[in-house]
Amino acid sequence: METPHAVDGPGGPARPARAALEVGPLPGRPGIRARGEISVVTRPSWEAALTEVARRHGEVSYVELSEAEFLDVGGVTALAVTALRLPAGRIVVEHPPPHVPRVLEMFWPGLRRIEVVPR
Amino acid sequence: MSTAAVDEAFGHPALFYRTREEYTEQTLAFVREGLAAEEPVAVAVPGPNLDLIRTGLGADGEGLLFLDMTEAGRNPGRIIPRVLRGFADAHPTGRVRIIGEPIWAGRSAVEYPACAQHEALINAAFAGRAVTILCPYDEARLDEEVLADARVTHPTVITGGRTEVSAAYDWEAVVARYNEELPAVPHAAVFSFGAGELSAVRAFAAGEAARWGLTGPRLIDAELAVAELTTNSVIHGGGRGTLAIWSEAGQLVCEVRDAGRLTDPLAGRRPPEPGQLGGRGLMLVHYVSDLVRLHTDDHGTTVRFYLGL
Repeated sequence: METPHAVDGPGGPARPARAALEVGPLPGRPGIRARGEISVVTRPSWEAALTEVARRHGEVSYVELSEAEFLDVGGVTALAVTALRLPAGRIVVEHPPPHVPRVLEMFWPGLRRIEVVPR
Repeated sequence: MSTAAVDEAFGHPALFYRTREEYTEQTLAFVREGLAAEEPVAVAVPGPNLDLIRTGLGADGEGLLFLDMTEAGRNPGRIIPRVLRGFADAHPTGRVRIIGEPIWAGRSAVEYPACAQHEALINAAFAGRAVTILCPYDEARLDEEVLADARVTHPTVITGGRTEVSAAYDWEAVVARYNEELPAVPHAAVFSFGAGELSAVRAFAAGEAARWGLTGPRLIDAELAVAELTTNSVIHGGGRGTLAIWSEAGQLVCEVRDAGRLTDPLAGRRPPEPGQLGGRGLMLVHYVSDLVRLHTDDHGTTVRFYLGL
């Protein structure tokens, strides 16, 4: 988690760059930022990054998504389940694509462990 | 012992009615019986019928859940997870009583197979649960075929005010019969995808949906639903599939076809536990769309969802 790492679709870097996800630590704050797309192809690195967020979690962790283009329902689920399993505190999800709060509301209404700061 | 068995039995009577008076009398009796037993009661029926029940109950209706089924259940595929289980799961102790009227005169021929399958699947979704769901059918305005199907999807039928056991009851037959083939539409815009094209197929869908006039939240819904169906094809449907998009009768239709077979008839209708990792993709498609049609057999699976333009 010290440096951002890129993940491509199956078949490696020859795949289209737009299927890629970059996740890395947030400078100066506990948490991560993600850039690109969170789909079934890139989900393993997204879930690994969230596991790391949970491991280091204190009171508040941040997930910065202003450069995330898309999260599928599985990607939002990983985020919600990570938050649900926290012993305390919350995850602040910053500037996610607009469908993220919609999916959260659809499947986890009133989830207090996630605070969304809209785009 | 016999008392316990009765208490846990799922009740799913069809109510055949001919007049507003009969409708009001029968539905009010059903609600009042529940109130007398201190059972939670929800009423999900089309607007005008909702008014009849609400007015008839007067002050007795305070605190009950009233839903206009033409909105809450516009897509019959979301009635089980969102309306029926939504209410039943919120009241886990004791019997729960619901009036659910998913089929009204004016349901289209495209909608009807999904409506009949929904009625059939209620039996699977609530087997062994202390829930009673009364489903009114307008005998004066619905087709003979619809009324005949109601006798197959409901173990009991109330007609002329009397409850009788339905000899035709066989809900699985209705699920199978309305698993109708969905032939490819020649004028559709199509895009074939594998795991490497999940992003591209989604972008293609969003572009087409916008071109047909979808905007704002509805456009986002279309994109999300396409993402879930195409992801399902990649994971469960042989690794790839074909998306087709077109417009018909004032609706945008998105179809995803793949080589998989859907074996669970309740897929997409079972609300997941909050901490559960999977099982939300098809449910999302049901939640956001106005109708979902599905065909599955040994040759593959086709899912179509419809969004009003």
